[in-house]
Formats: sequence, structure tokens, C-alpha cells
Amino acid sequence: MPEGLKINKGAEEAVRELLRSLLESGRVNGVLALGRTGGSNGGVAYSLFTDPDAFRVDGTALPLLPFMPANAGGLLSRLTLREPLAGPVAAVVKPCELRAFIELVKRSQGSLDNLLLISSTCGGVYPLDVGANGDLKERPPGYWEAVKHGELDHDVRPTCRACVHFVPDNADITVALVGKEDLDTQCALFLNTEKGAKFVEGLEGTPLSDELETEPIQRSHSQRAAYREELFAGVEVGMQELIRTFGRCIGCHACKTVCPICYCSLCYFESQDCEYLPEIYETELERKGGLRVPPNTIFFQLGRLAHVSVSCVGCGMCTDVCPADIPVSTIFSKVGTSVQALFGYRPGKDVTEEIPLMTFEEEELTQVAT
Amino acid sequence: MEEQEFTPKIVGFLCNWCAYTAADTAGVSRLQMPPSVMVVRVMCSGRVDPLFVLSAFLKGADGVLVAGCWPGQCHYQKGNLHARRRAAMLKSIFETLGLEMADRFRLSWVSASEAPRFAEVAKEFTEEVEQLGPTPIWDEVFL
Amino acid sequence: MNDKGAILPAEDGVEAAVVGWLKEALNKKVFDALLIPVQVPAEDSFAYLLLQNPALLENASPLPPVMPVQGGKAISRLTMRGNGSKRIAAVVRPCEARAAIELTKLEQAHLDNLWLITVDCPGVLPLSDYLEDPAAGAARFAEASQRWDRAPMRPACQICHRFSMPASDLHIGTLGSADGTVFVIPGSPKGERVLESMDMPLEAALDDWTAQVKEMEKAQMERRQQAHADLREGIAGPDGLLDVFSDCINCHNCQRVCPVCYCRQCYFESAALKLPPENYLARSERKGALRFPPDTLLFHLGRASHMILSCVSCGTCEDACPMSIPVAQVFSLLADRAQETLGYVAGRSLEDPLPLATYEMDELHQVEQPYVEIYHKREVQDA
Repeated sequence: MPEGLKINKGAEEAVRELLRSLLESGRVNGVLALGRTGGSNGGVAYSLFTDPDAFRVDGTALPLLPFMPANAGGLLSRLTLREPLAGPVAAVVKPCELRAFIELVKRSQGSLDNLLLISSTCGGVYPLDVGANGDLKERPPGYWEAVKHGELDHDVRPTCRACVHFVPDNADITVALVGKEDLDTQCALFLNTEKGAKFVEGLEGTPLSDELETEPIQRSHSQRAAYREELFAGVEVGMQELIRTFGRCIGCHACKTVCPICYCSLCYFESQDCEYLPEIYETELERKGGLRVPPNTIFFQLGRLAHVSVSCVGCGMCTDVCPADIPVSTIFSKVGTSVQALFGYRPGKDVTEEIPLMTFEEEELTQVAT
Repeated sequence: MEEQEFTPKIVGFLCNWCAYTAADTAGVSRLQMPPSVMVVRVMCSGRVDPLFVLSAFLKGADGVLVAGCWPGQCHYQKGNLHARRRAAMLKSIFETLGLEMADRFRLSWVSASEAPRFAEVAKEFTEEVEQLGPTPIWDEVFL
Repeated sequence: MNDKGAILPAEDGVEAAVVGWLKEALNKKVFDALLIPVQVPAEDSFAYLLLQNPALLENASPLPPVMPVQGGKAISRLTMRGNGSKRIAAVVRPCEARAAIELTKLEQAHLDNLWLITVDCPGVLPLSDYLEDPAAGAARFAEASQRWDRAPMRPACQICHRFSMPASDLHIGTLGSADGTVFVIPGSPKGERVLESMDMPLEAALDDWTAQVKEMEKAQMERRQQAHADLREGIAGPDGLLDVFSDCINCHNCQRVCPVCYCRQCYFESAALKLPPENYLARSERKGALRFPPDTLLFHLGRASHMILSCVSCGTCEDACPMSIPVAQVFSLLADRAQETLGYVAGRSLEDPLPLATYEMDELHQVEQPYVEIYHKREVQDA
């Protein structure tokens, strides 16, 4: 199995061409990728493409665009939830989206069957309001220049600039972008699995035996790790500080809706359990003299942390969607990192690795019980 | 701060087979225990949903105790082993967010025949919580 | 509807007067508790507090610059499972009171032991504008609202013609208040009893205030009609509508913050819309691509079909949208048209039955016509 393929085209062009030929030859039945919505705002959304022409130079598909209108891991779950795919479908997703999908597969919320997963070393994405303001350019100028040098455009989301997992796990094919100075003219595809190699058979290119993790990647990793530490250190800790941070939370639960890990059809905090009898309100009112309505602002956040922190992939959708500008993702990533370290767990790394709370060892964590 | 002592309100989730039996025996045997633990009997420490612990704290508990059988002795084989992981996760969340709940939450193993140990755990934990003082969110309106 | 009101002195401004009056009501045990917006600890927003401790009124505001949570929703959460023993006064904006009335008809709130107290409303700032700089936002709001200038307010507020509320239990009329007084106008026997217990006789004539309200309503109605006419041109036809919603990321914020959307599990999040992959691929084949997740327009039009008859045009949906889609503007247009067709105004009165829960034998023949003409190929016989 060749480790990789070097194609004499720019990365975007090569990826488009690969997907176009996969569709045209019928080797895949569909492709999930970003594409222009056709709206006057120049917006972009994920689409399930079946027309190969969408991937022509003048077509609507924009597979490598640095934007995340939804976590595609959740979309892959949506696609494969009821049944696994009967025939091959390709998907072009970011590393965190892929990791989220793996976590969902572990929870029986999707299937990897017949999916050709294409990802890339990731230079981050722009926040949602760039799209909302109509500022999303097809080829954001600063972005690719930064990526070529293993850096991040300063307008990319803070969550992305703090992400140290920007090299995909579990992709069948990885498109090398970060640190590739020649990405305008050359495309390096890393074929990580036999499936990946099979699907590029016939594609014109020379075999590649480079390392994926080059020096620019390592450098980017250190830079991002440093920023991550800074970002996490900036989280104000303590109950009073949490109350201040979430003071302006409006309880819209958008963070939960966009979170790929939060898949429950009926969230506990929206269920009957949280519809209180008047006596409950009145008892609390008697005691405290006052209480916030609707209640459970902090309970929702801590509860959601208890539910998802073990699998949080730090995709940042929560911060992006919050109407009150609360840095939810920073808090959730920070807690997620601690909880995951506790169990030596990396969400999305290995689909056979059990979710830490679903399993146990006979001898472990002896310091917890006293 | 006044010298007046406060009796902590500690919500204790005790597993039916071990910890609750021990607590019951301790009571019947008139072992000295502070009146601070408000007992909720569950069939297994593995029944304790992390949301129970959060809910207890956010409703004003000064402390939360989860007590069950020793690992290897769970009536349902492995419930307590799941409970241990959940407790570890909760503590990690509390510590990372700088919440006092980290110190106000305790997981203990107490077998059915260990009544004096239960009394000891109750006494010890009560003292620790007394040291920490009443929960700072008792009157908190913006939760 | 009374033509007389009680007088509330307001030399230090409306807010101080109203809060002072509420404090007095609490102390006199006219109410047991209040539901009122209070500034949050970080001073960067407001949250509804159910309170009985008068000290908590220090940072309370009957007319905060923003509406992070729709008051109708707060009232619904509180009273969904019934009223308790405490008599609660909820101080809300007219659209929030109207939402509470709709929710009561929908059995999601109970108003027996709850008094709706409203104030003439100048609108609220869009939440994102305010959050950029809360202190500056508060100042901007204070200044604009004094002059009844709606330019900085939410688009929905800019075209609001129901900013005064004679149908709440007590309404505080502030428009054009001369010599530092405002009026407290009862809208129900419940409200009248409150004024009696507070020794506030209905001695002020309301002609002046009523005239000012009517004048502003007329001006606002004109603005509304113009805005709706312009909007309708822009969104007419599937292309127009698709364009408006093209940036939608399906976060469903609009649905979740809407006071009237009360379903625990929205139909559009249920298993009904979670289909096997063949379905999605087949749909994609038809046009070469299928937006994913699909059914964006279905969600918005479907949501409209579910709640438009109770829509109070508060604009909270638009505030919550992360992609700045003018949801409230579209929905307020649809609401006005739909409610007009059925002769209904959402939240006007508890006595108005929900339009879809009732019918007349002889009505709405204009809706029948196309059906008869197309399918029975005959002229409609006049009844």
C-alpha cells in the first residue's frame, strides 16, 4: 500500500478533482462536503452531493473552505443513524468533526461502514459571524498564506488557535495542508488505510513517502499548545466566577443543540424532570428570598459537563453559536482535557477504545475513595 | 464569623446492601454520630447519577457523600466500579473549575459489617465540612 | 377598560417610581412575590428573578435595555404546573404579557395567582449590540427611550404597534407623562383590587395619555405596514425565501427562545425527520445535491405553521439567531397576515378562543374557492 500520493495540482484543485472523478465513475454514491448555498450573502453549508459537476472549478462545492456551519460529525451521524450506508459515500471533514463522529459511533449513533473519510491537517476555521456578515470569501487571502507557513490567520476562532489535535485520526485519506508551502501547485495525499488507497487508484500522481508530521506541524503544535495554556489559564474559576460568566446565559441551549456529542433526543434539562411544581419554586423562594427564572442555569452547564466532558473534542461550535458571547468551548475544553487526562483517554482516536464511563478496571483510581 | 456551630447538611447516598446496612447498624448500636447525614438509600452506589450530586450541591447541600460496597463486593458485581469512575470525573470537573464542591464531595467504601467505620466516616466528613463552613451558595439567587 | 387611572408620582423617573411602588406593594403584602428583571452580578445583562426579599429590588428594572429571556417563557416555566399559594406580580413588557396570555390558553401557564403588570414600552436593544458594551448600551437605551426613539431598538420593536397594554391586570402609562407622574391603569377586577388595597383611587382622567398612545400606535402601524410591504417584496417566491434563510445553520435557537414554542421535543428534532441514508441520497440525486442537514425551509415554514397564530412579534427569535437572519421580521409579517385572516390578535385577551380550536359554519369561504374551482370544475355557489 503506497503511503501517499503526490499530485501535480494545487490542493484544492486536486481534492475537487478526486471527488469529481469518484462521483463520475460511480465509485462513490455521494459526497458530503461544504458548498455554496447560492444565497446572496455568499454563505456556505454542508451538502450531500451526487452531481460530479459540483466539483468542477466553477461548481458549487468548496470542500476545503475554512468554515464550520455545523459539526460534520453530527451530520455523519444523521446520515448513518437509522442504517449504515449500503454503498460508498465520501465525506470531507475537519479533524475535530471526524473525532466527534468516532465518539458518536461508540455511542451507537452512527456507522463507519462504507464511509470514505477524507480529512486534512487543519488550519482552523472562521467564526460563524464571518459568514453571517457576508465576509466569507472563497479564498480567504490571509488564511492560506498562514497555513502554508504552519501558522494560523489571526481571525481564525480562538478555539481553533488553541487546538492541538489538528492532525486527523481515523481518516482514510489525509490532505496535507499545514506547513505545505507548495499547496498552490502540489497536493500531498496521505493514504492511511487500504480503503483510502483503493479509492485513489487510477488517480494521476507519484508515490509519496514523506512524513505527515513535518517540522512546521510540530512548530504549529507548540504554538497552539502555548496559546491553549494561555486560553485555559484565562478561564475564571470558582463558583462566583461561574455565576458571573453565565450571568448572561439565556438558557437557549444552542450550545447543546450544535454539540455533536449531545445527541439525546430529549435532553434531561428539557424534560419533565425539570418542570417544577409551584411548591418547589415557593420553597426555594422562602429560603433564599429570590431565585432566577427559568432556573438551572448553572445546573445545565455543570450537568452537560458531566455528560460530555469525557468526549469533548473541542470543536468550538458552542462558543460560535452562543447568542450571549459566552466562551463555552474554552470552559468545556478545559474541563474536557482534565477529565480525559484522568482516564488517559483521547476522544476520537480509536473507535475500539471504550468510553471511560462505560468501563472500569478492578484496580484503579484508589485515591478517589476515602 | 460567629462562634455558633453549624450542623452541616450532608446528603448521603448509601447503597442498600452495604453502606445503608452499616449506617442502620450504627444507629441501632447507638454509636456516636453527628446528625449531619441526610440519608438517601439507593440500591447500589452505581445508581448515583452525577446529576444527583450536582443537584444536591446546587440546592444547598454543604456536603455530598456516596458510600457503597468495597470493590469486588458489589451486590451487582460492578456498580461500585462505575461509581468510582463517575466520582473521579466529578472531582475532576470541580477541581478544574475551582469549585469548593471538590472538597465537599466524598466517596467511601463501607461494608455492611463495618458500622463503626460508617460512624467514623460520618464523623470525619462532618468535621471536614464544618471546617469548610456552610455552603457559599445557600442564598445564591443567580444559579 | 377603564377611562380613569391612579396616579403614581415619578419625580425621579419611571423606573424608580415603579420599583418603589412594587416595594411598597410587597411590604403591604398586596403581593407575596415579584417576577421582575434584575441586573446580573457581572452587570452585563438582566435575568428574571422571582423575589420576595425587597433588598433584591436594588438592581431591578421594569424596563431593562434588553430582553435576554422572553418574560412569557419565564412565566410559563414558573406556572406550567399550576399556581402556588403565593400571589405573584410579574413586571413584563407588553409582548411578554401577550405571550403569557397565549401560553395560558395553550395550557402552558396559569395566571390565576399571577398579576401581569406592564409598562408602555419603547422597545429593547438587540442583545448582541448591548453585549458589545453593556454600559454604553444601557446609556444609549436610556437616552433613546426617553425620546421614544426606536432607531437603536430591535427591528421587531421598531415596527411594534402594540407597545401599550390595556389588557394586563395593571398597566403603567408613561407616554407623555406630565409633571413627573405616571398612571397606573387597571385592566381587570384583579388589578382594581390591588389599587384599592394600596389606597390608590382611580382619579386621573386618561384622555391625554390615550390620545398620545393612539397617535403613536397610528404612526407605528404605518411604519409596520411599510416595512412589511418592503419585506414581502424581498422574500416573495421560493427564491426570495430561500435566500433569507440561506445562512441558517439549523441551530434552532429561534425555536428554543420563542415563548410560544413550548414543545419539549420539537417535531423537527424528532425521529420523524431522521431518515435512512437512501432517503437522503435519493433526494440528492434529484438536484445533484442536498443541503445537509436537510429540511431547513421545512423547519421555518413548519414552525410558522405551528405557532404563527400565537406569535406576538416580540423579536426574541431574531436576537438569538447566530447568523443574523431576520427571522422576527419574516415571522411578524406572517403573523399579522395569518391572524388577520382569522380575525385574531395573539395575546389580546384570555377570552378570545384559540383560532384553531374553534370554528364557525359560515366563514372563510375565500379559502374554499380554489379547491371547488379546480377539483369540482364549477363556480362557487353563493350561500
